[in-house]
Amino acid sequence: MIRYLRCLPIVPLMFSAGCGGDSTAVDGPAVALLTSGPVSDAGWHAGAYEGLQMIGDSLGVHISHQQTRTPADFDEAFISYAESGYGLIFGHGFEYQDAASRAGEAYPDVTFVVSSGSRPSANVVPIIFGLHEASYLAGMAAGAITASGIVGMVGGVEIPSAKGTFIAFEAGVKAMREDATVLETFIGSWDDVSAAKEAAAAQLRQGADALIHNVDAASFGFFQAVREAREGGRMAWAFGMNRDQNDVAPDVIAGSAVINIPQIFVQTARAWQDGTLEGPLYTGLATGAVDFVPNPAQPGAVPPMVLVRIEEARRLIIEEKIDVPSIDFVEPAAGDPVAAGDPPTC
Amino acid sequence: MTAAVSLRGVTKRFGALRALDAVDFELAPGEIHGLLGENGAGKTTLARVVAGLLAPDAGRVQIGGREVRLGSAAEARALGVAMVHQHFSLVPRFTGFENVALFNAEAWTPRGGVRDDYRGRIEARAAELRLPVQLDVPVERMGVADRQRIEILKALMGETRVLLLDEPTAVLAPQEVEGLFAVLRRVAAAGTGIVLVAHKLDEVLAAAGRVTVLRRGRWVLTREAGGVTARELADAMVGVGGVAAGLPGGGSVLAGQEAPAPAIVAELKDVSAASVSGAGLRGVSLAVRRGEILGIAGVGGNGQRTLASVLAGLQAPDAGEAVLPAEAGWIPQERDGEGLVNDFTIAENVALAVHAKGAYRRGPWLDWAEVEEAAAALVGEMDVRSGAPGVAAGTLSGGNQQKMVAGREFLRSGKLLVAESPTRGLDVKATVAVRERITALAKHGDRAPGIVLISTDLDEILELSDRIAVMVRGRLIPVPPEDHNPAAIGELMLGAGSRGGVRHQADARDRPGARETAG
Amino acid sequence: MSDQSGTPRVRADLRPALGAAAALLATMAIAAALLALGGHSPAVAFGALARGAFGSWHNFISVTLVQATPLLLTGLAVALAFKARVWNIGAEGQLHAGALAGVAVAVSVPASSAFLLLPATLLAAAAAGALWASVPAAMKTRMGVGEVITTLLMNFVALFLAQFLVHGPLRESRGVFNQTDAIPAAAQLPTLIPGFRLHLGFLIGILIAVALWLYLARTPGGFRIRAVGASPRAAEVSGRFRTTPVIWRAFLVSGAIAGLAGWIQVSGITHRMYEGLSPGWGYTAIAVALLARLHPLAAVLTAIVFGALSAGGGAMQREAGVPDVWVRGIEALVILAVLTVDRVLQTIDRRAARGSPRAAHSRA
Repeated sequence: MIRYLRCLPIVPLMFSAGCGGDSTAVDGPAVALLTSGPVSDAGWHAGAYEGLQMIGDSLGVHISHQQTRTPADFDEAFISYAESGYGLIFGHGFEYQDAASRAGEAYPDVTFVVSSGSRPSANVVPIIFGLHEASYLAGMAAGAITASGIVGMVGGVEIPSAKGTFIAFEAGVKAMREDATVLETFIGSWDDVSAAKEAAAAQLRQGADALIHNVDAASFGFFQAVREAREGGRMAWAFGMNRDQNDVAPDVIAGSAVINIPQIFVQTARAWQDGTLEGPLYTGLATGAVDFVPNPAQPGAVPPMVLVRIEEARRLIIEEKIDVPSIDFVEPAAGDPVAAGDPPTC
Repeated sequence: MTAAVSLRGVTKRFGALRALDAVDFELAPGEIHGLLGENGAGKTTLARVVAGLLAPDAGRVQIGGREVRLGSAAEARALGVAMVHQHFSLVPRFTGFENVALFNAEAWTPRGGVRDDYRGRIEARAAELRLPVQLDVPVERMGVADRQRIEILKALMGETRVLLLDEPTAVLAPQEVEGLFAVLRRVAAAGTGIVLVAHKLDEVLAAAGRVTVLRRGRWVLTREAGGVTARELADAMVGVGGVAAGLPGGGSVLAGQEAPAPAIVAELKDVSAASVSGAGLRGVSLAVRRGEILGIAGVGGNGQRTLASVLAGLQAPDAGEAVLPAEAGWIPQERDGEGLVNDFTIAENVALAVHAKGAYRRGPWLDWAEVEEAAAALVGEMDVRSGAPGVAAGTLSGGNQQKMVAGREFLRSGKLLVAESPTRGLDVKATVAVRERITALAKHGDRAPGIVLISTDLDEILELSDRIAVMVRGRLIPVPPEDHNPAAIGELMLGAGSRGGVRHQADARDRPGARETAG
Repeated sequence: MSDQSGTPRVRADLRPALGAAAALLATMAIAAALLALGGHSPAVAFGALARGAFGSWHNFISVTLVQATPLLLTGLAVALAFKARVWNIGAEGQLHAGALAGVAVAVSVPASSAFLLLPATLLAAAAAGALWASVPAAMKTRMGVGEVITTLLMNFVALFLAQFLVHGPLRESRGVFNQTDAIPAAAQLPTLIPGFRLHLGFLIGILIAVALWLYLARTPGGFRIRAVGASPRAAEVSGRFRTTPVIWRAFLVSGAIAGLAGWIQVSGITHRMYEGLSPGWGYTAIAVALLARLHPLAAVLTAIVFGALSAGGGAMQREAGVPDVWVRGIEALVILAVLTVDRVLQTIDRRAARGSPRAAHSRA
C-alpha cells in the first residue's frame, strides 16, 4: 500500500504538464454535436458532422464535437457543453433522448436537439427524419426493376428509425408489384462490414435481385456482396441509404434514398438563431431534405416510365394523398422529461 | 596445461549479502572437483557464475584460458560449459529424446525440426558413456535417477569441457550414486572437468580428485581428496569445533530396542490408494506407536508421496482401513509451494497451520497478534536465522525455511508427525538441529507423537529410526533389525526383494491378498 | 569498496523516480508528437485532459468519480478473483447479468418504497452476477476446464442475452426502442451531494473495497483465498483445507460484485438498460486490478486514475477538437506508461526485498 502510494503523485504531475489557461467557456454563440459513432462512417454520423461544419461556416459560430462511448457520457457531455456556454447542442440519435430531457430541465436556456428523438419539450427538440418517404420511392423503383420478384433489406440495429424506412420501402415495392417477396435481416451492428456482406449474400442466394440497406458504415460490405453476385453472373441492383451513395458504388447502385442531414442541421441552427425553433421537427419530401436520387452513372437502371410514376408518387406524398407507413415514436409533449422522475438526494 | 575454469577474486552480492567474496577457484581438465560447504556457503552461486547464469560483481572468469564476458550463459555454453541443476530443467511431457534434442541447438534444422541423424548421435553418445537412458518414455513417467541421466546426457551432447553438477546425489539410492560416479569418471577420463557440488562428505571423497570448501561465501581450502579426512572437511565447512559426531554416516545411533510405548497412534490396514503421478499404495499395512520413529526408506517415487498424504489425512484410501488421528503434522518434501509459501511472511506461513483453530481467532477475525506470537516463539526455538514473524519466507535460506516448516508442524503436532526427507538440502548444522528436534520429540513420553520418517537418505533413516521399512513400487517391506545396514536396505530399495531375493518377505507377497505388516 | 557504500544506496532510492519519470516523459513526448502530427496543439490537448478530469469540483465529482464507479466495482471483482488465482475475465458478462436482473426486478416489482426496492434490486443483481460466475466455477472445479476461456465465453452469452432481452421480453412497454422502460424512482440510487451526479454506488464501491480488504487481511476465510492464490498445493498440504470451496467462494463473490457494478450503473446513471451499456469496463477492470496489485484499497485509487483518463478524454474531444480515436490512442499510451512505471517500481521493490528481508512484509 505505502509502496504503491509512492507513484501516485506522478499522475497529477502528468496531467498538469500540459496545462494551459483554465477558462473553458466559449465566447459568443456556439453549437455542439454529440455522436455515438465515428464521423468517418460515410453515413449517419458523417452527415451530422458535415452539418456541424456547415453551421460553423455559414453562421459563423463556434463549433465542437464529441463522440460519446457510453450512456454515462451522454449526460456528462450535455452538461459540460451547457456549462461551457454552448447554446445549441445536437444529440445525433434516439439514444440521447433521456439525457437531453434531463439536461433540458437543468439548463432551460440551452436548446437540445435530438435526431430521431421522441420527447419534445420547451427546449428539447426532436428531429423526425422523413427518410421513410424517400425509402418508399426507392421501394417503388426496386419493385419495378426486380426480375425475380424478391427484394432484400439489410438493416443494422433494429431501431425505430431504421425499421421505419424498411416498412416504407416494402410498401413502395408492393405498390409496384403486389406479389413481391420482401426479405429483411438486421445484423445487429452499424459497422460490421463482413456481417453486412454475409447478410446481403444470403438474400442474394435466396433469389433477391434488388436490395436496399440501412447499415450505415457497414454498407461497404453490402455493396461488395452485390458486386460479387454480378461477377458470378447474376444481375442484381443495390440501393443506397441515408447519404447519396451513388458515387460510393456507381457500378451496382440503381439509386439512393437520401437524407440531407447537413441541410436540416443548418436550417435547425438558423431557426435557433432566429428564435423560431420549435419541436418536433418533421423533415420529409416536402422540405426537400429527403429524396430519392437515381444513380446518374446508371441511366437505364430505373426505366423512364418508372421514374415518371415515382415523380407522381412524390407529388402525392407531399400533398398528403399517400400515407407512407412507418413507425411513429414521438411521445406527447406533456409531462415529466424522464417518466419516472429524478432520484432523491440523500 | 590451461585450466578448464579459473576464477580470480570473484565477488557476487545479493543485496547486503556477499554470496561470494573474492573467491579463487581452479578446475583442471579431466578432474572431478568436489565443491563443499554448508547451505548458503556459495557453492551453487559459484557454479552459476561459471555457467554464466549470474554476473559477478567483481573478479575475472576464464574458461579454457579465455576471458569470459561477465554473466553470459550463451558464451559459457559456446565455450563448452554445461550445468545440471539440482531441480531438473526437463519438460515433463516430452520424451527423453525430445528433451535432449530440445536443449541442444545443433539438433535443430533451420526450419525448427530435429535433424534426422540426431537420434543416432544421442544413442552413440549414451553408449560411449555407458549411460542407460530411456529415450522414448515421457520424462514425467521416469524415476528420479532416469531423469538425472537424461539431464546429464543433455548436458554432454555438445563439446562439453566443463560439467557442473549441483547436488546430484541428493535424490539417489546408494547403488545409484555408485552408478552416477562411474559415469562421471568416464566423462572426466575423456578430458572434461567436472565440478561436483555436494554436502555429503564421504561421497565427495569417494568420487573427487580434489575438494574445495567454501564457507559463508569465502574460499577456505582446496586439497587432494586423498590427503584429507571427513573430519577435517567438516571442521572447515562449519568453522571451528567439531560437529562431526552428528554428521551423516558418522556412526549410526540405532535407537534402543526396548519395548516401545504401547499406544498405537496411527494404523493402516491393507491400504491401497491411487496416485496422480508416480506410484500409489498397494496393500500397505503399518502401525505407529507413541514415541517411536518408523523410518521408511526407498528410492523416490515409489509411493512415499501417497503414503504421506494418506497418513496426513489428505487422501482417503481406495481400499483398506486407515485409523488416523484428527490431525497429523506433515513436513512435506517440497518446501517451496508445499511446505511454505515464499511470498508469505513467517507469521502467515504459521497461520497456514493454525488459522482454523479457535485459539487463533477472535470473533470472526483471525487473531494475528496470537499468530505472530507463536511465529516469534517458533523462530527462537528452531533457530530460524534472520527470521522474524514479518519476514517473507522466500528471503530465508533453504535450511532456515525447513526449520520453520518443521517448527510449524511440531506446533500442529497432535499424535502423528510425518517427516518427508526433512533434512534434504539442509546444511550440516541445520541437519543436526532438525534431527535432534525429531528425536527429542519422540522422547516426550506420554505426550510424544508417533513419527513416520520418510527419507531417501539412508544414513538419516539408519540414524534416527527405531524400526525401518522400505517402499518399493507402492509396497511396504519391513526390515528386520539384523538387516539395519546400508547394503541390505539398499538392495531392498532397488527392488531386489520383489524377486524373492530378500528372505522372509518374498513368499508372503507372492500370495494373492497377502498382507504385509511393517512392525 | 566499503567507503563508497553510500553511493549505491542513494542511487537505488533515486532509481524508481528516474525510471518512472523517464517512462512518463517518453510517453508524453510520443503523445505530443502524435497530436502535433494530427494538427492539434499538445498543450491545449493535455490541458483539456487535465481540466476535464480535475479542473473543477464538478469535473472531479460528477465526471471522474462517476466514470470511476463501474471501474472500481469491476476492478474489485477482478482483484478478489485473481487473489485466489481465479482468472475471471468474465466481469463484463457478470456486469450485464447483474444489470439485467436489477432492471427486471425494478420494472416488474410494484414496490414504491426505495427502502424495499433498492435492496431487492441490489440483491438480485449480486445474485445474477454470482450465478453467471457459477457456470465457469462449476466447469473449473468439476471438469477442470480453464476459467480464462469459460468466463470470456460467458461474456458473449451475456451480451447476446442482453441484446435479446432489450429486443424482446424487457423491451420498453411502448415497444418502439430497443431499451427497457425507465426504472421507477424508488429503484434509482440517490445522489450523494446535491448538485452533483455522483451517486450512492460510489460509496458502495468504497465500502466493498474496505470490506474486501478487511476480509482478505483479517479473516480466516480471506486468508484461505490468499493461500490458494499464493500456492494451491501449499494450501492443501500445509493449510489442510480443500481448495475447491475457496475457489467457489472467489468465483461467486467476484461475480456478485461485478453484477452489482452493472446494476449500479443503470440505477445510478442510465436508469434504463440498453445494448452497449458498458464500453468494456469488465476488461479495463483487469488493468485496474493489476495496477492496484490486487489490493482492494489501492483499487480505489487506480479506478479513479482510469476514471480521470476517461473523463479527460471527453474534454479533449470537446475543448481541443481531438477525434475520439486519437483520444483512445492517447489513453492507451498513458495506461502503458503507468503500467511501465508500476513494473519498474515492482522490480525495484523485489530487488530491495532480496537485499533486506524486512522490506517484503506486506499482508494483503
